[in-house]
Amino acid sequence: MKRSSRVALLLLPSAAVVLMLLLPMLRLVAEGWGESFYESFFTVWQDDFLKWRLLWSFTQAVLTCVLAFIFGLPVAWVLARFEFPGRQLILRLLMLPFVVPTLVAALGVLALWGPQGVFSQALGIDLQDTPWLLLYGNLFFNLCLVIRAGVDALGQVNAHCVAASRSLGATPWRAFWRVEWPVIAPWLTSSLCLVFLYCFSGFGLALVLGGQRYATVEVEIYTLVAYELKLAQASSLALWMLVLTGLVALAYAYVEKRLSVATRSQPIALRFPKTALHWLAVFGSLAVLFFFCAAPILAIVWRALLADSQAWAALLDVETLQALWNTLRFSAAALFIATVLGVAHALGTQGSVAWRAAAYLPLIASPVTVAFGLLLLYPDWTASLALLIAAYAVLAYPFVAKAMATGLGSLPDNLNQVARTLGASPARTFWRVTLPLLSPALRRGMAFAAATALGEFAVTLFLSRPEWTTLTTLIYQRLGKPGAVNLDTAMLLACLLMLLSALVFVVIDSPQKTSDSKTIG
Amino acid sequence: MNNIFKKSLQSSMVLAAVCGATLFSVSASTAATAKDLRVIVHSSFDLPKPLLAKFESEAGVKLKIVKGGDSGEMLNKLILTKKAPIADVVYGIDNAQAVKAKAADVLDAYDGAAAQGESKIEFAGMAVAVDYGFVTLNYDKATVTKRGTPLPKSLEELAQPAYKKWLVVENPATSGPGYAFLLATIAHMGEEKAFAWWKSMRGNGMKVAKGWTEAYYTDFSRNGGAYPIVVSYASSPAAEVFYSKEKLTDSPTASLYLPGAVFRQVEGAALIKGGKQRAEAEKFLEFMRSNDVQEAMQTTMWMFPMQSTTKRADVMKYAPEPAKFESMPAAVIAEKGASWISRWTKTVLK
Repeated sequence: MKRSSRVALLLLPSAAVVLMLLLPMLRLVAEGWGESFYESFFTVWQDDFLKWRLLWSFTQAVLTCVLAFIFGLPVAWVLARFEFPGRQLILRLLMLPFVVPTLVAALGVLALWGPQGVFSQALGIDLQDTPWLLLYGNLFFNLCLVIRAGVDALGQVNAHCVAASRSLGATPWRAFWRVEWPVIAPWLTSSLCLVFLYCFSGFGLALVLGGQRYATVEVEIYTLVAYELKLAQASSLALWMLVLTGLVALAYAYVEKRLSVATRSQPIALRFPKTALHWLAVFGSLAVLFFFCAAPILAIVWRALLADSQAWAALLDVETLQALWNTLRFSAAALFIATVLGVAHALGTQGSVAWRAAAYLPLIASPVTVAFGLLLLYPDWTASLALLIAAYAVLAYPFVAKAMATGLGSLPDNLNQVARTLGASPARTFWRVTLPLLSPALRRGMAFAAATALGEFAVTLFLSRPEWTTLTTLIYQRLGKPGAVNLDTAMLLACLLMLLSALVFVVIDSPQKTSDSKTIG
Repeated sequence: MNNIFKKSLQSSMVLAAVCGATLFSVSASTAATAKDLRVIVHSSFDLPKPLLAKFESEAGVKLKIVKGGDSGEMLNKLILTKKAPIADVVYGIDNAQAVKAKAADVLDAYDGAAAQGESKIEFAGMAVAVDYGFVTLNYDKATVTKRGTPLPKSLEELAQPAYKKWLVVENPATSGPGYAFLLATIAHMGEEKAFAWWKSMRGNGMKVAKGWTEAYYTDFSRNGGAYPIVVSYASSPAAEVFYSKEKLTDSPTASLYLPGAVFRQVEGAALIKGGKQRAEAEKFLEFMRSNDVQEAMQTTMWMFPMQSTTKRADVMKYAPEPAKFESMPAAVIAEKGASWISRWTKTVLK
């Protein structure tokens, strides 16, 4: 692609990131300037408590990554290679944990492992306020990221290469490491990097499941801004976090670029498990999925089903219907903008490490500082829907950008060149060749972006209007009042949100893959 | 490749574009409305829609209600946006923050009918006192009976080994009721003794949760947690009855009014400096003290009405008002509040 057209493509996402993230953060820094910003920027780490929080944030994020890799890769391999009843459904429901509001997820986890939980009482243990429960919660939210990336990556492995290595005498194990691994490594690193960033800057879950001692640095920033208005300290902490996580993102972008290998996709055919070992692998994977991802969701559904008629009646409230409609239209709008931004970003940045890393900015910028910065920067727009949607879109677009960038990286150049030689214009080449080839990657990115919009991370930080109540905000409102009916209604609403999300995933992620691979295989 | 997914991809893009278009048309139409009264409220604000509609037609304005987080967060947002105010009138400022708001110069004084009496006492005429409530301890009757230990008679007793792992509190750095409870202990015992008590509570297995929702729904034994006593509100037992599944004749929880464990909060409404629609904003302040609002808010926001002539909701009989409570001059809170929070963090968490 020509340099000028790349710059033109990049204008859109850069403008969005600058206007929605960087300027607000800088505005907050400017507000705190003068009141000892300089000083606090360098003394911030002399506080032992903060140092412990940073160290803990880092440790739990790394531990989660390691565990997600150990459990995620084998499950992904089984899901990508074996055909069994319900496989498609599992693939598409994988992302459900992603949309569950943090507090509801915590309630689900505690229903199993809390002091009065099903498992804790059966086993006679109480995991509340231990790091184990936090790690479990982290895996609940993040395992799907790794598995999904792994499944998609394994679909990119060229069947002929594996077959060739096998006939040349390689064991399946060796074939995996020498042929499959190089192809899937960039995808996996990419998803692990995401997991790291999510856990590192994690806000809600750590507090509910790990207890206050395991709070991450973001909590400190929140207190400084929202309660104490110590902007100098808060923004210097936020900048430090941005620098540290930015380094991780940069390192990852470099590794991913080095690792990405252009291959012609010739998916390996799915096969039915035959031997006992195959079945063991399938059931083992299902057990892992059940234990980490499905069990808390089932606990939520189970609690919801215990609800009485008053709570069920609340489902038909005008309020609920309004929230449902809002959730749908806000997510659709955010998804549309996120897709445009993400595709433009990925196409514009091919090859550039710094730009690839920049796609992570929305995920690593401190949400509290951004929310307060936006207030300062655009006082007339604070309570406008446009700003809210834009914020959702910017938070969601990295998924599209990343998935597309990874997809582009493994796309052979010669197909484009052939199309161009045969006289297709660049636009036509993109629409008829590149886009269809990248369709799976785009769909994956869009599904995650949709999940982000539906799950509304950091939603409570932004100004909102009662008429914009979404399902997530309604759930939090219900949980803001005492009483059994409120809890029941919140659980039912959470089920409604999951049902809606499942439908959205099915629509975005329609089952084209199996039919393809079967015919090819 | 195949046409199926190219087609579906294109159609999904068209669909997304259509959705986007609908949305923008919606936001464009709302932006065009004239004469809006911008009201910023805390996140617990909840009044029946017909009441708000009635005010709109009587005052001839369109209410544009904005939720600004909990009351502490909301006030800080107002202070930050002082130069270009984001609302004309605010509801949900509490009396403990009155001095901070005054020092930051974000409010305009109001002297109408609703600003007399209690309002003068609690807010020095800067705001209209609308309602009040008490942050206090709630206990789970069933669990306490099951454990067979009599309820503690003082905060000091609560720090005894017999009550190990009984109490869950909210972090005062991230929660309004948590902060109010901290102030109550200091008001009652004095700073040094209060922090000594907090230290002994830490040793006695007290749990700290992020906010009220986390404490009440994940740690309180009534909802599957391990702690039978929680920092909540005096009105919560009434809400438990109101939102109960089967019609209860008694609340499953009750307030435990220990000395030093009850803090009175008064919530007010005020004019925002630099706000527009002054006449309508003043009408809104009076509206918040009208009988209809004072009656309705009892079972939507679970606060006690400031207007003494207003009839109490029936269910509020499960929420008796405490005979004694703590309070603290707002000036002292404004001066020492932040340092108390960091001292608390050092004592309890570090």
